[in-house]
Amino acid sequence: MKDLKHLYYFENLLTEANNELVRQAKAEGGIAVGYTCFHMPEVLLNLDRCFSVRLRAPRTGSMEMATYYMSNSTCEYARALLERGLEGGYRFLDAMAGVDVCECMNRSMENMELLDVADPDKKGFFWCNLDSPCHDNEDAVAHVVEQVTRKVLKPLHENYGVDISDAAIRKAVDEHNEICRLITQIGEYRKLDNPTITGYEFHILTLATYVCPKYLIVDKLRQTLEELKTREPDSKKRFRAKVVLVGSEIDDPELISLIEDSGALVVADRFCYGSIPGRQEIRLTDGEDALTQVVRDYLHATLCVRHVEPHKIQKRLDTAAQLCQDFHADGIIYEQIKFCTYWSYERALASHIMADEYHIPTLSIDRPYMSRTSGQLRTRVQAFVESLEIKKIRAAKAQKEEASHGV
Amino acid sequence: MAYDPKTGKGLGRLYSGDMHCTKRREWKGLKDTLYDYFRWLKLLWLLGSTLAPVLPQLMKALKRYRWMASYLTTPAFVDRHTIGLRGYELRYTHMQFYAVLQNSARMIKEMLERDENLNPKSKKAAALRAKTVIFDEMMPIQIMNGFPTLKGILIQMVPVFMAGEVDQLANMYYIDAIEHFGLAPDVCPLPAAEAGCCVVDDYPRIGAAYIGSSMPCDGSVATNMYSQRYFKLPTYTIAPPQRFNEPEVQEYAVKNLWGAVEFIEKQFNVKFDWDAFFAGVKRYNTETKYMLEKWDVNCTPYPQICGAALALHREYEMQIASALDPRMAKLDAKTCKLMQKGYEHDKKKDLQAKYRAIVWSCPAHYYSNFTYWAENCWGIKTLVDMECMLSHHFYDEHDKKQVLVDMARGYERMTMRSHSNGGYINALDECWKMCEKFNANIVFMYNHVSCKNFAGLQGLFEDQARERGIHLIWVEHDLMDPRTVSRKAMRDRVNRYMTTVFRAEPLDPTLMDYDDELTW
Repeated sequence: MKDLKHLYYFENLLTEANNELVRQAKAEGGIAVGYTCFHMPEVLLNLDRCFSVRLRAPRTGSMEMATYYMSNSTCEYARALLERGLEGGYRFLDAMAGVDVCECMNRSMENMELLDVADPDKKGFFWCNLDSPCHDNEDAVAHVVEQVTRKVLKPLHENYGVDISDAAIRKAVDEHNEICRLITQIGEYRKLDNPTITGYEFHILTLATYVCPKYLIVDKLRQTLEELKTREPDSKKRFRAKVVLVGSEIDDPELISLIEDSGALVVADRFCYGSIPGRQEIRLTDGEDALTQVVRDYLHATLCVRHVEPHKIQKRLDTAAQLCQDFHADGIIYEQIKFCTYWSYERALASHIMADEYHIPTLSIDRPYMSRTSGQLRTRVQAFVESLEIKKIRAAKAQKEEASHGV
Repeated sequence: MAYDPKTGKGLGRLYSGDMHCTKRREWKGLKDTLYDYFRWLKLLWLLGSTLAPVLPQLMKALKRYRWMASYLTTPAFVDRHTIGLRGYELRYTHMQFYAVLQNSARMIKEMLERDENLNPKSKKAAALRAKTVIFDEMMPIQIMNGFPTLKGILIQMVPVFMAGEVDQLANMYYIDAIEHFGLAPDVCPLPAAEAGCCVVDDYPRIGAAYIGSSMPCDGSVATNMYSQRYFKLPTYTIAPPQRFNEPEVQEYAVKNLWGAVEFIEKQFNVKFDWDAFFAGVKRYNTETKYMLEKWDVNCTPYPQICGAALALHREYEMQIASALDPRMAKLDAKTCKLMQKGYEHDKKKDLQAKYRAIVWSCPAHYYSNFTYWAENCWGIKTLVDMECMLSHHFYDEHDKKQVLVDMARGYERMTMRSHSNGGYINALDECWKMCEKFNANIVFMYNHVSCKNFAGLQGLFEDQARERGIHLIWVEHDLMDPRTVSRKAMRDRVNRYMTTVFRAEPLDPTLMDYDDELTW
């Protein structure tokens, strides 16, 4: 396929946390709020002059300092962020909206706080550790509303004069929804028999929406959507199988690239930093305050593994199966970043359930934060693709035999 | 074994590399050996008399469940914790362990008589099961005080948690099973073993509803996926807030806890009995009062009830017995009375500890007598253990609203969770506070190699200990899996520190290097 016009531009935006658009927004008086997790409602970090930056540590190499502080047995993503923070890579931030959701991320934030990675000249800077419940009932909604109000909205208002009114939230939701609509529509092209967008390209676009001020990328996303309407697919399919990628944090497009280079086209991204969930519109009504509705939406939408109520566990399994069907995938890859406890449990269990009960071929892998050089991973994906091909051949053969018997 | 200045008590010679038990019992002098022997008989009587009514089930359980055989080693478990002890300390340790074991033996009996696997056709067992709520192991069951007609049992406690403490070899099979299933080997082996026990179908079937939890760590939360799928029972999850130091979160905590009460009411068609509940609250307060007395004495130059006798007892009392067993407070009263005598005795003779230490982070289940080894080998007295510093505030005994807030705070601060959750202040700052309170300048910093929660603060612990001049002795272990870090490797860390930093001479050189890899 012909390259997407803005792909290179978006790729460049992902090479550093304090990218060109972040700098531009800051120069225009914007307030950069860092965050890491879906449980911190992203839309609430985009009120008024604020813009959210979901933290990444692109081009991570050595993590020696972070390993000293957090040991070598903690999540590499959490360590990479701490390392980048210690190097001064997040000094551009005006606030850090953390959540106490998983151990490693929580400790990473706490280390950053105690080791003073924030810019000392930013007098309004504040840290927050949101308490996120494991339930999604109305008590949990009220709890998160209180947490967000006290730990995020109030400091934003008091320290930076940010408008946190109901009207401001509704405006932010509208802007958020436009991005979601665009990403969803772009993602629909992955459902085609011969998709006109690759998983890698889609991930680049999605990532950009998480790490850049949205108002600065929306035009290019619109143009990309237009471009896709007429984009011609390769005459010969460049993939051998389609897969849904499910799992823990992925902010490294190289991983998607590695999987696709091994023959498996990633048609759905059900992982942290992916679009499912995260890029679905938030529907607001007039009968209730916007904050409560936003919080409820996030709690209901979350597919995070720390929610272990029976209905949530079932929802995660059903969603993976549904994505497989909707995006015409041949199998699922369950992945986890190394040392992620939650996803280790989910991956092990779900990969058995998917194969045994939903009869969906499943590959189960763990991976480092930066997996571009992992030959082992490449081999495993290639083997999975081959097994999917063999299954297809056998199925076709069986169908043929059945048809001939019928005749 | 008489004390010899050259060889100490020679306790290391009791162990043999090719035996599961010690070579012989220790000679503690006539009086103490007789006391020890009497206690041994008393323990056997306790186990025999408690389990005799379920003897047929017990025999079946030995064939059906891998963990059951570990409990045959219970007397050796107590022996491990009393080796080298004399006088008052010997007596406290026996009394504290007896309190724990009488409750545990009853729990085993209650499991055996209910178990569907062992009593498939028994109507009596079925009736008992219909009145039983099973709980995730990492959670107190205090709410059951309000349901006197029902029984609450921590389901993983006997098959996994306690078995691993009694017998260091007990959990390996389950850990291997779950890793074979696909779980990464870097996760905490406790919830891993619990999930493994599901995978190999080694839990008894004893209840009609399940209460899961979001207790101390991510692994503990995630293992609920396996438990729920395995037990296939109506389920509710108690998930107290993480940032529990904030007063604002208590409202949600109460609602979440009360949700469990309503769930039980609905499932079993019973009403929460406030009178029975307040009676339980009184017992909890009494037990807490005794616990605080023990701590207070340990803050003085003449500490009394130390090491695992203090830690395991409190852990079991709060989390497992959960004020449901009136015998715990009675035994506490006796122990505390004796403790006062012991304190006066030591004060009169000015018997001070050579080194004063506290234990921080989670200790190795497979080496709960580690602190006694440190005492026997180096004269390091372990004054308190982080694990036992769980909920120790008093509950309101009259106000329904307030007592729920108090109990929610108790659930938030149960074993491990009181320090692993709620932010670094509860782990880091609290450690230094306790050093000051207990006047200790040594911290046995357990470095549980799979515990990401404490690993995430490793550098800060190191930096801050150095600033404060505290001896932080890192002791690696893998909680339930002695194959990763053996007991000997744990001892070596302390030996190295004591000889190189303190330039100390061991009290008992035979304890410096001995083989106990096979010992239960």
